[in-house]
Amino acid sequence: MTAHRSWFVIARREFLERVRTKWFVIATLLGPVLMLGLILVPALLARTGGDKNRIALVDRSAPEDQALKIADKLQAVFTSNGWTVTRVPPATTDAELLAEVANENVNSFLVVPVDPLGKGQFVYRGDNASSQGVLLALLGSLTNVIVHERGTKVGLTTEQVDNLNRPPQIDIKLTTGQAEGSSGGAAFVVGYAVMIILYLAIMMYGVNVMRSVVEEKTSRVVELMVAAAKPRDLMAGKILGVGAVGLLQLTVWLGMAVVTLTYRDQLLGIFGVSAKGAVLPALALSQISVVLLYFVLGYFFYSALFAAIGAMVSSDQEAQQAQTPVTMLLMIPISCVTLVANNPRGLTSQIMTTIPFSSSTLMPMRFLLGGATWLQVLVSVLVLIASVAVVVALAAKIYRVGILMYGKRPSLRELLRWLRY
Amino acid sequence: MSSAAKAAIAVQGVLKRFGNHTAVENVSFTVPRGVVYGILGPNGAGKSTTLRMINDIIAPDSGEISILGTMKPGRQASAHIGYLPEERGLYPKMKVAQMIQFMGELRGLTVGDAKTRAASWLTKLGLTQWANNKVQDLSKGMQQKVQFATALIHEPELVILDEPWSGLDPINAEVLRATVEEIRAAGRTVLFSTHQMEQAEKICDSVCIIARGRLLLEGTLVDIKRDAAAGRLVAFEATDEAARGRAKAGVLADTSLVAQHRPARAGHPDEIVVELASVATAQQLLAAVVQAGVGLRKFEVVTPSLHQIFVEQVGAANAMVAERREGEPS
Repeated sequence: MTAHRSWFVIARREFLERVRTKWFVIATLLGPVLMLGLILVPALLARTGGDKNRIALVDRSAPEDQALKIADKLQAVFTSNGWTVTRVPPATTDAELLAEVANENVNSFLVVPVDPLGKGQFVYRGDNASSQGVLLALLGSLTNVIVHERGTKVGLTTEQVDNLNRPPQIDIKLTTGQAEGSSGGAAFVVGYAVMIILYLAIMMYGVNVMRSVVEEKTSRVVELMVAAAKPRDLMAGKILGVGAVGLLQLTVWLGMAVVTLTYRDQLLGIFGVSAKGAVLPALALSQISVVLLYFVLGYFFYSALFAAIGAMVSSDQEAQQAQTPVTMLLMIPISCVTLVANNPRGLTSQIMTTIPFSSSTLMPMRFLLGGATWLQVLVSVLVLIASVAVVVALAAKIYRVGILMYGKRPSLRELLRWLRY
Repeated sequence: MSSAAKAAIAVQGVLKRFGNHTAVENVSFTVPRGVVYGILGPNGAGKSTTLRMINDIIAPDSGEISILGTMKPGRQASAHIGYLPEERGLYPKMKVAQMIQFMGELRGLTVGDAKTRAASWLTKLGLTQWANNKVQDLSKGMQQKVQFATALIHEPELVILDEPWSGLDPINAEVLRATVEEIRAAGRTVLFSTHQMEQAEKICDSVCIIARGRLLLEGTLVDIKRDAAAGRLVAFEATDEAARGRAKAGVLADTSLVAQHRPARAGHPDEIVVELASVATAQQLLAAVVQAGVGLRKFEVVTPSLHQIFVEQVGAANAMVAERREGEPS
């Protein structure tokens, strides 16, 4: 075995010290579990919520409406939904009904009003009125029964009513004319999620680098380190080591996301839930590559800035304040997200995804939305690489002077002098 | 081979400024191989700055530093240097064995070597049972031992210790002394800085004295003491108070014999210490004292302590600076 170069020894320490912690393992495994949870839990909740509704049904319609048997028909539909229906005499007061709810004898009650097909207002009160599942089932059942009765009243057949009720069919997909896109809303959701993940990952690991620099200063180990390694190697090792942790975590997360999205139906099936609504598009390998490339470059860009901030300060508290300009730089693109989403091929999108401080978070989204050509991606990547080179060089200078300074934070003028050393 | 090529460290006309402050001004000294060498000086003299330049932590504005012959401060030299900074520090959350191993690798050891040597250092320092604990869980004394190990794991040819005694408990001070002896016995070189003269006097072969960024004195401890004294200091004890009074009245007032009075040395309260006038000899002083009828319990020519030499040298330098200041137009 031969001795390694110092940046490598440092990078390996930074990597192993992080990866070996319980928190890393938990966060890396829990991230995807959370992602799964976000899809599964609402589906599960919606189902269980709709399942168990013990409902009291009061028919207060006028005698001339009784022939319609609205209450009977509602009872039949509710029962077929799996609800438990109790018929209550019309004379029962609201107070008595509320008492039943309070005693948890029923979950809810529904009052059929006078003139149910006309201006009469149904009244629903229940402890589950906040459940989306219950409300959808209630509204669906009610609409179904009432519209049919109205149809029958004017002499339409059941078939004719169903026909009237059916919404028009429309197929919406996102495309820039190159290839068949996926559903517009779903593409936005995926693009937006990728941008948020990139933003969080770059921020998290950039701040991690900064804290690591500050920790070396506060624990005074930095003098030992710069005696054994060049500050340049120290900074490079730190950024590469922490970055490798971030890349590992992000790859695991994206991998899990791909699996989750690809096998969404099967996964939901395991839990006995059938997938409804828009199907999220699966990520292609080329798309994942672009996302990871922008993570790496964006991370280099911002972590170098964060490293310089860390070198300028002497304590964690000071670092919290001093990092604000860099954090703002990272947050500006987030507030521009709708500009890119609304017009992925527009000039604003083009600019925001080319300038270095915002391209790392916005370009992957724009690319996923199909708004960028490979040429545009290439230009944006080249600009970002050039900026990374400049920022790293400047940050290294600040870092070199800063890490051995304690006490007062340098003024802007002093910083400029450090750059000339 | 020239003397510089044989030297462990050769510092030649080194200058370092921080803004308007000159931290080190035109300092030159040579540390021979295989000796224990002390850089002595009051706080703020420029000792740490000098050691940092040798360690390539900061670069001199001008001047030359050579390490172990022809090497310049930097990555190549760093594999042969062990450094104990004045600001002690370790990674608090790292495991003890890994911390030592890591510093070994950083100084150029292979992974396997670093691992083996870290383990043997832990055994040597009696810390084996703590190997898998975090550094922050150790007592301060144990952390100091770990710090020694990080400086020495790669068995450096040259060991640099910046104020090594500051903050050490007596047990670790003893560990440090034994370690320095071991390094010297192995023919390796130790360079350290301190303002604690008692420690330096016990352990050093050679010293230099720095004050206000300038070199005042350099040489072996033996030479420096001989030069400083040159037989000019005499200590004697009178038999009783009356004899003491006679000596003071008769002999000590004679300026042809005595240049000045000195304070008694520590532990000798009855001593009278004088510096001989330039023309006088110890023989003449003894004759005069006997002639004055002063009964003597003791009469000796003394070698000044390193502390006395230091105080004298630094005091003179400060006085010179003060004079220069007064002479400057304000």
